[in-house]
Amino acid sequence: MISGLSLRRRAVLLGLLALTAQAKPGWGLPQLMAALAATRSATASFTERDTSPVLSAPLISMGTLTYVAPGYLSKQTATPVSSLFTLRNGQVTLMEGGATRQFALDEDPRIAGLVEAIRGTLAGDLPALQRYYSLTLTGSAAAWRLRLVPRNPALAAFVQSVAIGGSQGQVTSIDTLSTDGAESRMSIRPARAHAP
Amino acid sequence: MRRKPLILGLWLALLAGCAVIAARTSYRTDMGDFLPRAGSPAQRLLVEQVNGGAAAHILLLSLSGAPAPVLAALSQSLAGRLRQQPEFLDVLNGGPGSFTGMQDYFWNNRYLLTAPDLSTAGLRNALRNDLAQLSSPLGLAVGQGLSADPTGAMQALLNGFSMPAPAMRDGVWMQPNGSAALLLVHTKAPGFNLDAQQRAQDAVRAAFAKALQAVPGAGGAMLQMSGPGVFAVQSRDTTRQDVSRLSALALLGAAALLLFAYRSPRMLLLGLLPILTGGLAATAAVSLAFGFVHGITLGFGVTLMGESLDYAVYLFTQAKQGEAPAAALARIWPTLRLGALTSMAGFCAMLFSSFIGFAQLGLFSIAGLAGAAATTRFVLPLLMPGHFFAVGAAPLARPIAMLQRHKRTGHAVLGLAALAAIAALALHRGGMWDSNLLDLSPIPAAQQRLDASLRAGLGLHGQRYFALIPAASVQQGLQRSQAVAPVLDALVAAGKLGGYSLPSAILPSAQTQRARQQALPDDATLRARFTQAAAGLPFNIQAFQPFFTAVAAARAAPLLTQASLPPALALQVSSLLNKAGRGWMVMAPLSGVRDPAAIAHALAAVGAQFTNLGQAATGLLQNFQAQAVTLAVAGSLAILLLLWLGLRAWRAVLAVAAPLAVAVLLTAALLTLGGAKLSIFMVAGFLLIIAIGSNYCLFFATTRPGTAEWPRAAAAIVLANFCTVAAYGLLSFSRIPVLHDIGRTVAIGTFLVLLCSALLSTRRSA
Repeated sequence: MISGLSLRRRAVLLGLLALTAQAKPGWGLPQLMAALAATRSATASFTERDTSPVLSAPLISMGTLTYVAPGYLSKQTATPVSSLFTLRNGQVTLMEGGATRQFALDEDPRIAGLVEAIRGTLAGDLPALQRYYSLTLTGSAAAWRLRLVPRNPALAAFVQSVAIGGSQGQVTSIDTLSTDGAESRMSIRPARAHAP
Repeated sequence: MRRKPLILGLWLALLAGCAVIAARTSYRTDMGDFLPRAGSPAQRLLVEQVNGGAAAHILLLSLSGAPAPVLAALSQSLAGRLRQQPEFLDVLNGGPGSFTGMQDYFWNNRYLLTAPDLSTAGLRNALRNDLAQLSSPLGLAVGQGLSADPTGAMQALLNGFSMPAPAMRDGVWMQPNGSAALLLVHTKAPGFNLDAQQRAQDAVRAAFAKALQAVPGAGGAMLQMSGPGVFAVQSRDTTRQDVSRLSALALLGAAALLLFAYRSPRMLLLGLLPILTGGLAATAAVSLAFGFVHGITLGFGVTLMGESLDYAVYLFTQAKQGEAPAAALARIWPTLRLGALTSMAGFCAMLFSSFIGFAQLGLFSIAGLAGAAATTRFVLPLLMPGHFFAVGAAPLARPIAMLQRHKRTGHAVLGLAALAAIAALALHRGGMWDSNLLDLSPIPAAQQRLDASLRAGLGLHGQRYFALIPAASVQQGLQRSQAVAPVLDALVAAGKLGGYSLPSAILPSAQTQRARQQALPDDATLRARFTQAAAGLPFNIQAFQPFFTAVAAARAAPLLTQASLPPALALQVSSLLNKAGRGWMVMAPLSGVRDPAAIAHALAAVGAQFTNLGQAATGLLQNFQAQAVTLAVAGSLAILLLLWLGLRAWRAVLAVAAPLAVAVLLTAALLTLGGAKLSIFMVAGFLLIIAIGSNYCLFFATTRPGTAEWPRAAAAIVLANFCTVAAYGLLSFSRIPVLHDIGRTVAIGTFLVLLCSALLSTRRSA
């Protein structure tokens, strides 16, 4: 009974959200993607809160995100352990604890899916996002929420969903939920953004 | 008259004996059996690679003709079907399930295959790295394996193991432009097991047909296959088609000519007896001498024996009206014998080649010609109807008579042509020798292009560089391979080497596995160290139970042996660690070689050898070419010597040798001007021109124009030549390079010998 109720409530909620989305005619996925694509490069600081079955307490990390359209992305983590993740033309470099690992993004659909969720959103690259996910957009241009559900079975075995929140052409949060209950919530505060 | 049954009886008994031997002979088709026995380790390795090794089991598939998502679905459907069939060791398409067997093996045995640092400090280091990974964008992908593998043993294993990494699209391997989905299949049967390969390839086609029906929208898609097994089956099929069709046509052409000359089907059949007897005798001789007969020897040797068809022509056509067969034979036998001996002398040089194939061909030709000449000498006159006369042969002499009436002009034309040929050969730029090993292969160019495109798409590059490590046993091979790993690691770290594959990475020696087991801490110690290492870090120690269990299990696990390997890895180990003579040889492919000298030096210090297979292949080919030339030159000298012994006059020798030299020169120039590069097959063709043509020259040189014998001799030579040109000319239409090259060379060359010998060998009229 309870689940039935909550299901119905969720449906109503979704309907309302859809209504609000429709309330502003002329705004939808294409417009959001265009707004996101307008950002050519951006630097932002982030705070991330990771929970996982292997962790006894949430892991809070902080650092800097840098994006240059369309294919460069770096995530520099300063605390608690410094590490650097770079994506350049489909090539991933991971530097942590003095070790460097390099591999191509398309080697593994799981890694490609996780990275493309972030890069594809920042770039407003709808085809790239749709290759890995089905997309649901809710909210308004001022406060939107894009929910990504994996289409690729290999990715779906790891990732339950990715929720990206933002305002206009700016991404403010990326929350990823994995199938084993691990969760990563990243909030982003833009430092500088450059429109063309 | 009592001699007749005796001779026929002996002949039949010999035939029966040879037939029995031929029937019991083992016929081999491995290219390696054709190549030299001796050679450098690198050349032996090359031969091994041609013969077996993992490379010989590869089947490359390409699916094209539909949009990329449809091709991806097709690829998955086909791979799923093939994985259920016993003909295939593994089926890789980049999709899920491709590396399952391999990954399971690595995962389940990770603590025997690596030596993780499980000290407190080592664990703490690993856990700090894990924290960094958890907060990276890949954290979720990494995190799920962390509880069973906090030290990243699996990652270290996969890093040290090179797997093909083609472009991915829609979840499977594809050509980068999305035009074709690619699959890499290892068949259970090696490439040279033709029947099993045929079955495997049929199974792929059947599975593809089912996949086409199962995947919507796949109607127009098509399947293409490549790989050593495909080549082998295809070339067998082409050989069968070409040989059966072309030889039927050649036989028809020659038979029509002979029927026209003889006007007697019986004589036509009798004319085949020498070559049939010779062929059987040759097969038996090679079988007795070598213990086996190579397929190439059989196919190619019969073309080398083509001359023996001429023997009957000379006898039947030269018999004068009213002359008894025995009388005709007695008249032509000295010349025929000298002709046959000259050819045998020419082939004699081949007997001493280090290439088993050449040696077999030499013996085959010699035995075949001897058998055919003996049959012509002893058997044919007995079976020939008395007073046979080749009615239709007379007009064949007319063109020769005409040619001889314009001898002066002819000489001038030949002289100019020879000068032009010398100029053309001397001025020729860009190398006359074909230096591409692939051109030797009997595979059509289109199929070679498909193979190259599939290999490029799958990232399978031909391995050039290898580290060779000799060992007395499998275990020692694994130990020594392990000992070489740090040397190679240092070279990689120094940027001198890109990467390497060693069998010990897949299967460490028993000694190493035991040492690793003993180094693993017991459960209580491990837990205590882990707790200490995790102090101050936000880890939930209880969650790492799978790790503790895995280490405890590895401590008590039975050691890994070759039997523990999944099929794909077993195949890989067996190609990295080969039986070599009485011992074993580790053949570790090296990639990204940037400093060959430094690598060779470092490897030599640990008793391993650096080798460049590309050089070995080129060396083998050059050796092959050098031998072919040496054999041709030695053969020509042997022919000259024999001619001198037979004729005892330099003038007469010159009359025979000059037309042969001019004809070979003109043929070489014509072929080169036509854009062809000299191959070893053409060199064999030159030798054949000399063998066949020397008979023309000898008959012209020993028969004086104006006598009653002359028109019969000229007609016999023309008839023999037309049969040869018809037969070899048809072979030049073959898609198989060997047959094509030989056919063209011999057809052109023997016709030129006919013209040259008519002009240069003929004696003054009586």
